[in-house]
Amino acid sequence: MLFCSIPFIYYFFPCTLLLYLIAPKQLKNSVLLLSSLVFYWWGEPRYVFLMLAAILLGYVFGLLIEKFKDRWQSKLFLILSVASSLGMLGYYKYADFFIQNFNAATGLSVPLLNIALPIGISFYTFQILSYTVDVYRGDVAAQKNPINLGAYIAMFPQLIAGPIVRYRDVEHQLTDRKLTIERTAIGIRRFIFGFAKKILIANSLGELCDIFGTSTDRSVMFCWLYAVSYALQVYFDFSGYSDMAIGLGKILGFEFMENFNYPYISASITEFWRRWHISLGSWFRDYVYIPLGGNRVSKLRWLRNIFIVWFLTGFWHGAAWNFIVWGLYFAVMLLIEKLWLLKYLQKSKVLNHLYVLFFVIISFVIFNASSMSDAVVCIGNMFGFGGVPFVSAQWLYYLRSYAVILIIAAIGATPLAAKAVSRLKETKSLGKWVNIAEPVVLLILLVVSTAYLVDGSFNPFLYFRF
Amino acid sequence: MTEKRKNIVTVCLFAVAILGLSIGCWLKTPDAYSDSERRALQTFPELTWSTVMSGDFMTEFELYTQDQFPARDQFRTVKSICAFYAFSRLDNNDIFIKDGHISKLDYVQNDPMLDHAAERFDYIYNTYLSSSDADVYLSIVPDKNYFLNQNSIYLSLDYDRFVSDMRQRVDYMTYIDITDTLSIDDYYRTDSHWRQERLIDTARDLASAMGTELTAEYDVNTLDNPFYGVYSGQSALPLSPDQIRYLTNDTLDSCIVTSYDTGKPVPKPMYDMEKAHGKDPYEMFLCGSDALLTIENPNAASDKEIIIFRDSYASSLTPLLAEGYSKITLIDIRYVRSDMLGNLVDFSGHDVLFIYSSTILNNSLALK
Repeated sequence: MLFCSIPFIYYFFPCTLLLYLIAPKQLKNSVLLLSSLVFYWWGEPRYVFLMLAAILLGYVFGLLIEKFKDRWQSKLFLILSVASSLGMLGYYKYADFFIQNFNAATGLSVPLLNIALPIGISFYTFQILSYTVDVYRGDVAAQKNPINLGAYIAMFPQLIAGPIVRYRDVEHQLTDRKLTIERTAIGIRRFIFGFAKKILIANSLGELCDIFGTSTDRSVMFCWLYAVSYALQVYFDFSGYSDMAIGLGKILGFEFMENFNYPYISASITEFWRRWHISLGSWFRDYVYIPLGGNRVSKLRWLRNIFIVWFLTGFWHGAAWNFIVWGLYFAVMLLIEKLWLLKYLQKSKVLNHLYVLFFVIISFVIFNASSMSDAVVCIGNMFGFGGVPFVSAQWLYYLRSYAVILIIAAIGATPLAAKAVSRLKETKSLGKWVNIAEPVVLLILLVVSTAYLVDGSFNPFLYFRF
Repeated sequence: MTEKRKNIVTVCLFAVAILGLSIGCWLKTPDAYSDSERRALQTFPELTWSTVMSGDFMTEFELYTQDQFPARDQFRTVKSICAFYAFSRLDNNDIFIKDGHISKLDYVQNDPMLDHAAERFDYIYNTYLSSSDADVYLSIVPDKNYFLNQNSIYLSLDYDRFVSDMRQRVDYMTYIDITDTLSIDDYYRTDSHWRQERLIDTARDLASAMGTELTAEYDVNTLDNPFYGVYSGQSALPLSPDQIRYLTNDTLDSCIVTSYDTGKPVPKPMYDMEKAHGKDPYEMFLCGSDALLTIENPNAASDKEIIIFRDSYASSLTPLLAEGYSKITLIDIRYVRSDMLGNLVDFSGHDVLFIYSSTILNNSLALK
């Protein structure tokens, strides 16, 4: 089930919230777990048992790791936990990729397994991994109550598209959280803004990207229009989902970490990755990069560490070469910055932003390509290769048709609007009017976004390959 | 308003909106048909173990919740207004409004569809016509966008290429170009079809190209009910309706219209007043979508007959050809298989006209 769907907003969520509110405190996690299982079962009826098995393994290994703390068995159970989680992920997500490449390399024809990827497996697997590793490190105590652990892993607000919530961040909230009007109101605001970002901006731009994908009237400018639109779509889609997840978390009494912080205003690629998919970046930093030695090793090993982390970051996003290339592209960019470019970028005020936008836009063309050859063709077309004309009728039409949405998206990707509203709030004369307008604006956004859903508009789920 | 009060108002408004619409979703009696969109709505899906485990139930339930949402038409209007006026989109779900006309973007020439149409026409020609001395004609009715989108930013087919490609595929047919007799004013503002009262010159040119001269004058009659065309509902905007006008004279009054849809001859009216007041009033012309229909003119000056392969555009045009022929046979191969026609129609020696809209040729999968 997706957040941005009528079954979620007008069937599942009201029922779940009512049950959650009337449930006594000691039963709230049970309601949360059960509703999360229904949520997951609705989208993946066959794989709900796989998730239950993953939760059970995480629970048992967590207890065993703690029980044998400081003994060799503890490490053994950690290895088993990591192996079982990665084994599950490897089998369901990467098996066919490896078989395809094996066949291509050897000329054999090992049959593909054709396994449907369980939605959200990359997110909940990483949560289980962080839990058992943190128990092993002694950063958190093993959770004794399987319902609490299940509620943490399967919690529906963050189950299928993140953010990747660490157990240590919500450990205390699992047993002690408060529902307040203020937090609920902030959660509602966050949810509706995320909902509107996804439905009104991301889906509209997604339509444009889809039109480009089937167009036979490509031109240099149409390719650039597509590339810019996709970069904005993926930001509004992903950050919209994160906003909805964080908002729902707040409504249920949880505080999740921020996942996006206006990444397109970054002045370097290094900064971009501190602002983009923060929960994933920090996960790889804490559970891969630092355990490998981080930057406190020889230069050669440091280079190796960076390439490993970005290879894995790319591969995490999907079992295809374009995702690996996308990850390694950023590894190269980050190395160039760290070794040479960063000091020059810091001196610039405009060029550095243009540099980031340029390379990020190119990166998302690679990210969204159906294959590496498609990515090469599209990027070539953007620079006039491949014999495409400079402009085309379709480019002109769709530029005009989507101009307002593109402008709104470009402004919305910066903190300008949020800053303007908070400045208005600070003024004595306008502050109260802003407070009056806010609930009305939220209601309008809810109604308009619902109208887009009712009309059956284009509503893709971008993370089906994650 | 204080922060505290704002928070309370936010929570209350959200609760009322979500709960209110949620209760509406649960309690609303499902509709079977959408008059505005002219389509059947999704019904509650079959709930079985296999439909649940395959995910079909969930997929269909989502469609059901969209189709059966309370105040669905009003929400569609909200979306349409937002798309056109807040986001300044040029089209909404490919529907656009220009110069007071509503139309649909259809700008990509679909060559496999042209191939399919040509392959069906080839079959008919080779099976029923090639051995006779019949003259075979082709005419393509341009869709509204031909006139609406010329020299504008709106996208439309490359009609010259489209017509040329279709003519090349059926080069045994003589092409009759009717575009010079038409303008955007000859089409309804809210519908894809053309207006019968504006087609007299088109009918005359068409007949003349096939060796028949038409001179009749007509009385113009106006339907008393408004005509909300197919694009009106699809646009979901509150737009003013069209008015249907239809032509009559003594010749048309004396014509005998017979449908063979059931296998037996059934008399039909030239203009079906029941359908004129139905869901799609354009269907009043020759009773809408009959597979096989004849118009016999007992007062015809000659015994000339013509067979017309056609789509819905011919429904309003053909009555204006009746004056010049003793019998017109109308065949719609969307509703009857081409290989059955030998049992139903006598092709010997009669002229044959294939008249199709560019829209149907570009989406010809329905041609059997």
